[in-house]
Amino acid sequence: MAGIVKPQSGFVITPHKVSICILLQVYAPSGQLSVPFPFASISQHNRLGLFLIALTKSCDDILEPTLDEFLKLLKEFGGLLDNWLSDHVTTRLSSLSSPDDLFTFFSELRGILAGPETSIIDDDQINLDPNSNLGMYLRRCLLAFNILSFEGMCHLMTNIKTYCKEASSPYEMSHLDDASNDPEAPLEYENMDLENIVLQNFTQELESRKRSAGRVPFHNHSSKALFSLVEDITVSPGQKVKHNHRSQTQTHSPSVESSDVVLQRTNWQIQGYLSEQADMIEKLGSSFPMSAFESVLKVLQKVAPELHRVHFLRYLNSLYHDDYPAALENLHRYFDYSAGMEGSDFVPPLSFVNNGRYEIALLSLGMAHFHFGHPEVALKVLTEAVRVCQMHSDDTCLAYTLTAICNLLSEVGISNITGIMGASDSHVSTSLSVQQQLFVLLRRSLKRADSLKLKRLVASNQLAMAKFDLKHVQRPLLSFGPKASVQLRTCPANVCKNLRLSSQLIHQFDNESSIVTVDGALSTSWLKNQEKPTTTLVFPQESGSERNCDTFYSWLQSSSVPGSVLQLVGSSYLVRATSWELFGSAFLARSNALLFATCFADSSSSADLALAYGKLIQHVAVYKGYQEAFVALRIAEAKFLSVSKSGILTVKLQLLHERALHRGHLKLAQQTCDELGVLASSVAGVDIELKTEASLRRARTLLAANQFSQAASVAHSLFCKCYKFNMHVENATVLLFLAEIHKRSGNGVLGIPYALASLSFCESFNLDLLRAAATLTLAELWLLLGPRHAKRALNLIHSAFPIILGQGGLELQSRAHIAEAKCYLSDSSISVSEDPDIVLDSLRQACEGLEALEYHEMAAEAYYLMAIVLDKSGQMEQREKAAACFKQHITALKNPIKPKDPLVNLL
Amino acid sequence: MGVSKETCRTELRTAIRHLTDRCLFAASKWAAEQLVGIEQDPAKYPPSHTRLQRDCSSIRRRFRSTDEITATPVAGTSYVSSPLPEEESEDVDSDFYLLAKMYFNCREYRRAAHVLSDQPGKKALFLRCYALYLAGEKRKEEETIELEGPLGKSDAVNSELVSIERDLAAVRKNSSIDPFGLYLYGLVLKAKGNENLARTVLVESVNTYPWNWSAWLELQSLCTTIDTLNGLKLNNHWMKDFFLASTYHELRMHNESLAKYDYLQATFGCSNYIKAQIAKAQYSLREFELVEAIFEELLRIDPYRIDDMDMYSNVLYAKECFSGLSYLAHQVFMTDKYRPESCCIIGNYYSLKGLHEKSVMYFRRALKLDKKYLSAWTLMGHEYVEMKNTPAAVDAYRRAVDINPCDYRAWYGLGQAYEMMGMPYYALHYFKKSVFLQPGDSRLWIAMAHCYETDQLRMLEEAIKCYRRAANCNDREAIALHKLAKLHSELGQSQEAAFYYKKDLERMEDEEREGPNMVEALMFLAKYCRAQKRFEEAEVYCTRLLDYNGPEKETAKSLLQDIKLAQSSFP
Repeated sequence: MAGIVKPQSGFVITPHKVSICILLQVYAPSGQLSVPFPFASISQHNRLGLFLIALTKSCDDILEPTLDEFLKLLKEFGGLLDNWLSDHVTTRLSSLSSPDDLFTFFSELRGILAGPETSIIDDDQINLDPNSNLGMYLRRCLLAFNILSFEGMCHLMTNIKTYCKEASSPYEMSHLDDASNDPEAPLEYENMDLENIVLQNFTQELESRKRSAGRVPFHNHSSKALFSLVEDITVSPGQKVKHNHRSQTQTHSPSVESSDVVLQRTNWQIQGYLSEQADMIEKLGSSFPMSAFESVLKVLQKVAPELHRVHFLRYLNSLYHDDYPAALENLHRYFDYSAGMEGSDFVPPLSFVNNGRYEIALLSLGMAHFHFGHPEVALKVLTEAVRVCQMHSDDTCLAYTLTAICNLLSEVGISNITGIMGASDSHVSTSLSVQQQLFVLLRRSLKRADSLKLKRLVASNQLAMAKFDLKHVQRPLLSFGPKASVQLRTCPANVCKNLRLSSQLIHQFDNESSIVTVDGALSTSWLKNQEKPTTTLVFPQESGSERNCDTFYSWLQSSSVPGSVLQLVGSSYLVRATSWELFGSAFLARSNALLFATCFADSSSSADLALAYGKLIQHVAVYKGYQEAFVALRIAEAKFLSVSKSGILTVKLQLLHERALHRGHLKLAQQTCDELGVLASSVAGVDIELKTEASLRRARTLLAANQFSQAASVAHSLFCKCYKFNMHVENATVLLFLAEIHKRSGNGVLGIPYALASLSFCESFNLDLLRAAATLTLAELWLLLGPRHAKRALNLIHSAFPIILGQGGLELQSRAHIAEAKCYLSDSSISVSEDPDIVLDSLRQACEGLEALEYHEMAAEAYYLMAIVLDKSGQMEQREKAAACFKQHITALKNPIKPKDPLVNLL
Repeated sequence: MGVSKETCRTELRTAIRHLTDRCLFAASKWAAEQLVGIEQDPAKYPPSHTRLQRDCSSIRRRFRSTDEITATPVAGTSYVSSPLPEEESEDVDSDFYLLAKMYFNCREYRRAAHVLSDQPGKKALFLRCYALYLAGEKRKEEETIELEGPLGKSDAVNSELVSIERDLAAVRKNSSIDPFGLYLYGLVLKAKGNENLARTVLVESVNTYPWNWSAWLELQSLCTTIDTLNGLKLNNHWMKDFFLASTYHELRMHNESLAKYDYLQATFGCSNYIKAQIAKAQYSLREFELVEAIFEELLRIDPYRIDDMDMYSNVLYAKECFSGLSYLAHQVFMTDKYRPESCCIIGNYYSLKGLHEKSVMYFRRALKLDKKYLSAWTLMGHEYVEMKNTPAAVDAYRRAVDINPCDYRAWYGLGQAYEMMGMPYYALHYFKKSVFLQPGDSRLWIAMAHCYETDQLRMLEEAIKCYRRAANCNDREAIALHKLAKLHSELGQSQEAAFYYKKDLERMEDEEREGPNMVEALMFLAKYCRAQKRFEEAEVYCTRLLDYNGPEKETAKSLLQDIKLAQSSFP
């Protein structure tokens, strides 16, 4: 059938290979002594051998170097010999002027192979063992030459001429003089044209990137101020660009280069190249250079119209650049041509040969809609995919589809899916809630993946299960009949178990690394390493030749674990970090995020990486204060090509908002909060977490402005939304916040029920840190009711102290200290004037933390309390100091715009 | 008519001489056809002169009798009479030129170009470049086959384009280029992808020398939208009318195209070309009867014609005319079996006979002869659908769509194939494309509605919307009305349902059709009217129901009784 790519043609002889053969001839001239003519020493000779081995290893590479590049490589390696060698190669190449010369050349080559009958090899003679690496290579070349038709030979001649010409006069229109009787000249012109275009596009892309990096890509100009706020150590746009630029070439190096598409490549090579690029796109997301790659793909498509994977790449490219029509168009085109038979990871069973596997098309389409934030459509498409899978009994695809549906359901807030899932789940009665359906679905797809031995899928299902267990209480599925007594709590042990199981995956792949198919992509690594400056960074002073030896072998060390597995394992660590965050172990959360950032940064997608960095930065902000957090933020920003499109932007806004709240810049806080809200999609149910966060922050801003009723109404509607989408973990936070509002408004009695409700949520979801915070709030509320309750409040605070002091952030700790001090102060049984240190100690600690956070309001309170205590205990000098500090914070709070603040310049 | 027949005739005669002299054979063939197509005065000439023109107007007589709306001649168009270019001063071609021409005629292009390499004169320059161009094209074809790799055809290019472009650009700069040179320049520019300049150059060419039909055709291929067409600055010449008619057809403005051809027929009454073009336009309007008649006549006059005969075979296929199709296939096979059209006709014949494998084989052959033969791809897709080989069908349709994204049939075929595979939601994408291109075709709307209606989707609201569109655009099979009524009644919207049932009923009465739909409509209306207390109407429907046998008759009887009862209680 026309839709299926024909088997690969294998080894095609190209000018580059001819030049390698020339070098081979130099390396092993027939019947010479141990050190043949041009070499001065054996080591020099051996080095050429190493170079040749490396070259032959990369012969399946998609990009064959041009003669220029090749000569440069040769020069880098060759030392003293370089001129002789490159001269030799060029003269030899240009001496091939008729087909007969080629014949002679190749028959000469045959001479350097040792015949099989020469059993006794003379030590002094150099003969190429036909079974050695180089010998095999030579034999392959000979074979490829022998099967060439005369036409093929003519084309080879033409190509060699072009190859030489490009080296001698690149980008010169010399051919114009004799174009009419020189048939290959225009061909060269075409090639050059192409390269120019690609190159041009690439530089244009870079330039536009520069421009966009220079100007902050944002909606209104006032937000520029937001960003300059971050710059305590100001980084000029120019420097920033340099950062971006460097990070691009060094760490990511989206390898779209002009020489990437050279015409004569094997199917195998191009497939390898494409899958490599696909990984790249998925990893880098929107920061992948779109138009440059698009033009490469266009050329590829023109050259190889039967290579349908190009369409898939185009689809991916437009998907990650949010070009909806183009993505859809290319997706459909790809599956129309390929019928889902090529490019999928799993090997299709034989029975599907005639049917096509269009269910994969549906699966991909569903995922695309999911990506674009159309959950309804995505669900429809995926439901159809489930149906088609069942119809064709394609279990593998069904397993994948179910997993995709699970992901969709768990990430998107959908309050009601009756009728949609009906077709796929006939045995699950639709009376179940969405969460229960999701649970059933998860278990089903886990079982299915397990029985099909799809290890990656099992791992990702386990991850999804862990995520589910993290946030949901298991309820009995039976609506009637005897119920087993179920504890209405989440089960951290389950979460841990699932997470561990999912990261077991890496061992499985480690053990069977030999089975993993090596595709053409791996063979490209050699030249990649040549370009990568990593080795020079590590060993900057080393001499050139040694460095080259390093790079020769580094391709051997390329990881045996496939990237997708690494990515999965990496995300399991991210989930671990999140789960510890929720369960209240800040330090375990941090170490997991750190582990992810150090071990999996290369293999994971940029979105995941941004998330990990975000977690780390937040951690720094909470435990060390903003100053350090912003330094960390800047480091993280340098790692991303475009900050505006990555998750780092969210972190930045979060930090800015927090700090603005603490410093009392309410206008600014409002602004950042709005910016955060804008980042979320407008479709209901999509980006639900971001939306929740934005409205919570809005409520907090309102509270800070003492707009109690407005804050309460925002919080209330947020609670309703969370309840609708079953987001109970968020509910605990919202309830606590409501208690906080009542506390601030001085209405302790009304606040207590909220605090208690939050406490019970925390208990059933095992949110230990949040529970401690809730306990603290409860204590504060009791304290509000009068000094009678000071004892009770103190007990509460002390019960929460272990967790707060062990895991809580600066703000929480300080709050606890202040509350404790207040309790002591209001407790009539304790006389502060006699033993001021029990109060002063904690107040001092609170002051330190709040200074770091620049939390003026609370710091003022702490100093105020301290001054009172000191006054009572008669330490006048210290009292004056405390009072001065108090005054300082109060003025800072009252005049939030400091003159040194960059915002002033703009207002 | 703005120009007399005699002027046209003289102009064409000279043009044929010019064109042949420059080896532009296709254009001169076209011109010669039109020359003969100008109706002769039978009184003046002996019958041998009009041999090819007999029965010229039989079709017109047959079909005009019903409607007398003749195309009104465009009043007041003043034509620019382009002066016939004088032949170059060297009245007698130089000996070298003659030699080159002979080489060219023997298809030894490079030799021809070499002979002319240092000959002065515009004619020599043109022929040299043209020969080079053709040599390059030939080499390109060869290379495409030589370089065919595992990933499909390699991208071979005509290696002569660069040098030709450079030469012609130089000549054009010092404005010593003739219209033929301009035509070749346009050709080269188009091949190099420089469409805008190509368009300008071609317009220049046809404005100075309008009789070169090949130039017009190139220009047409560069006009893909009506805006570009309107943006062209063309002199008024009667050749422009030919151009416009043909371009309107390509832009799917069939009625405009037909009007132009009708107008042209006043002068070129016997032109087979115009007849075939009219047939094409009518085919797009699905007037199969007329198309068949035209082709019958064409074949009678010109029995060895192969151009456009694939369309005739489509018509015969649609009318399931076995013998006619086999006769046509035989005829074209004997004439030239290696024409893509011939293969396509044979493929159609086998398809009609239900021998789908054989039919695919012939479509494949047609495609081998011409890889961009659009209708063969689509037809092959249909065959694969018949053979239940949906992946292959999808592949074939997709190729058609990629050749011409405006081919609504192929989009429709894609949708159908996916619907067959039980993927209605996926199929919707394709149906949407198809209705976008051809919003006036009720079949497409019905197919789309059907998709929405499937058990898997049950998106009835959307289905209703589609059926409504279908009903609005002249739904011949009258499926839409019935479906609309049914869907509305299913959704419990009885008022709308009654409306559509009534309409459907009226239509069935009009076309004198009977059947289960009729019974259903009557039944619903009877019940509905009774529920609405419109007893008289209900009675009428019930009595009509009594004409039918089956359970409905009994129901109708009991209904009638009910109505009587009700009427008696509410006088």
